[in-house]
Amino acid sequence: MTRAEASADVTAAEDLQDDQAALEYARAAIEHAYDKGWTDGLPVVPVTRPMVEEFLAQTSRPADEVIAAVPHLGRECTVEQAAVNAALAGCRPEYFPVVLAAWEALGRDRAVTGGGWQSTSGPAPFIVVNGPIRHRLGINCTGGVLGPGYRANATIARAIGLVVRNVFGIRPQELEQATQGVPGRWTLCIGENEEDSPWEPLATEVGLPAGTDAVCATLLRTCEFVDNRNTLNPEELLADFADTISRTGAAIVPFSSAGLVLGVEHAELLAANGFAKSDVQQWLYERCVRSHEDLARVGKSLDGRISSGVDEYGLHMLPSPEQLLIVVAGARNAAMSMVVRPFGFAGWSRSAVPVQAA
Amino acid sequence: MFSAMIDPTAGPANRVRATVLAVRKPDLAGSKVGLLANVKRNAEQFLDEVGALLGQEHGAEVVLRRKKLSITDSVPPDMLADLVAACDVVVVGVGDCGSCSASAVADGLALENAGIPAVVVCSDAFGVTADAMAALQGSPGYRYVQIAHPVAPLGPDELRQRAVAALPEIVATLTAGNVRAAA
Repeated sequence: MTRAEASADVTAAEDLQDDQAALEYARAAIEHAYDKGWTDGLPVVPVTRPMVEEFLAQTSRPADEVIAAVPHLGRECTVEQAAVNAALAGCRPEYFPVVLAAWEALGRDRAVTGGGWQSTSGPAPFIVVNGPIRHRLGINCTGGVLGPGYRANATIARAIGLVVRNVFGIRPQELEQATQGVPGRWTLCIGENEEDSPWEPLATEVGLPAGTDAVCATLLRTCEFVDNRNTLNPEELLADFADTISRTGAAIVPFSSAGLVLGVEHAELLAANGFAKSDVQQWLYERCVRSHEDLARVGKSLDGRISSGVDEYGLHMLPSPEQLLIVVAGARNAAMSMVVRPFGFAGWSRSAVPVQAA
Repeated sequence: MFSAMIDPTAGPANRVRATVLAVRKPDLAGSKVGLLANVKRNAEQFLDEVGALLGQEHGAEVVLRRKKLSITDSVPPDMLADLVAACDVVVVGVGDCGSCSASAVADGLALENAGIPAVVVCSDAFGVTADAMAALQGSPGYRYVQIAHPVAPLGPDELRQRAVAALPEIVATLTAGNVRAAA
């Protein structure tokens, strides 16, 4: 070994030691966040002032603007607090405008501005992104769209949950009273598969110009799969959805709600047979009715209770046709879809919030 | 260590002021009672039982019944104004879910702020939430009445028993017998 080689070895060993020390410090910082109660159970990213500034640079909104609130708790969240928690969640700074739009969309949901975050149902914010921004940010809208593996999907949704925890102070077994909660509660951010959808995107359906970067959001109580690779008859397929939508367990008498995350193949089958989205909504609204006898049989008799969804036939499982939220997402590789269950008794806001760049 | 790490819970100080409880009379004789129910199953029925008992045993009279249609929202301003205008005391309930127990406590404190003695009835499964809610509102230790969980599946007789059992504490909370727990 030459002297130069020996010296290089020493330098490499020192570098390794330095690197190890830095990583140990990073690990300790993550442990510190756990000790302080700042995490949802998974490791968080330690946040510094310069990081927060990078996030704030992505929006033209003032740092102290209030973007979300829980009025009955007297708690508010500012742009800056949302930025800190988005950084903590693992977002890249450029995701931040989507996080802000998601908060605005959630703020239009009556269940959110009420006590929804504290509910025994432990509902999950469901965030749907439309527009070209899906591709710029790498928001998954095809294979495994509801599952893991995509940073933008995972961290945008998590950024919401960390604000609920850290800014609103709503933590499990304290102000949050979820009996069981919803699997994947802070992970449900998806892109709509606009490229493979036969219909207009969700944000367009509810009124924004086509091609707008936009976010729709509501709270969900669950997702339930409908696997039907068996029929090419659109009404048989719709009847399969109707069976899941109409199950008694989902009826919080006298209320119920539902939406569809349609797989591409199901959407194509319906569209190819002449069904527009509004036809799907109308078909299911008319047929998703659970009879008084069926409800009584499971101890959920309506007892003469009144709501707009109850008539002589029983309980309408959808508050109105247009309240059936329909979004197309996933891969074109199997004919399956998800029935989702919006939490709010009054349904979702049916509005989309444009994503505002800085 | 970690002094450069931003605290994600830090923010503008909460603008919460402690609620000063409304002045109580020594008893309920001749008091006009308001019942503020939510849409939870049996909430109205339970409050009606309480109202009947307050009439039979304490000389009070139920003059106003109101029902909040949102489980999660605080009492709407017009409903609050009606109760404040018409009632001497108000019974609020039943907090038997995570969000409605929290909002029931908030309603009770809103009534106290408006000068009306109020008692909030929650099921005992939600004491933690009700306590946290009271602390958030600046009134840690705010006294509310717990009844045994669950309330929703009870029949009329069981409901009446719950009301009978809770009555002494309800009356104490609404009268000068109430001593606010130490903060």
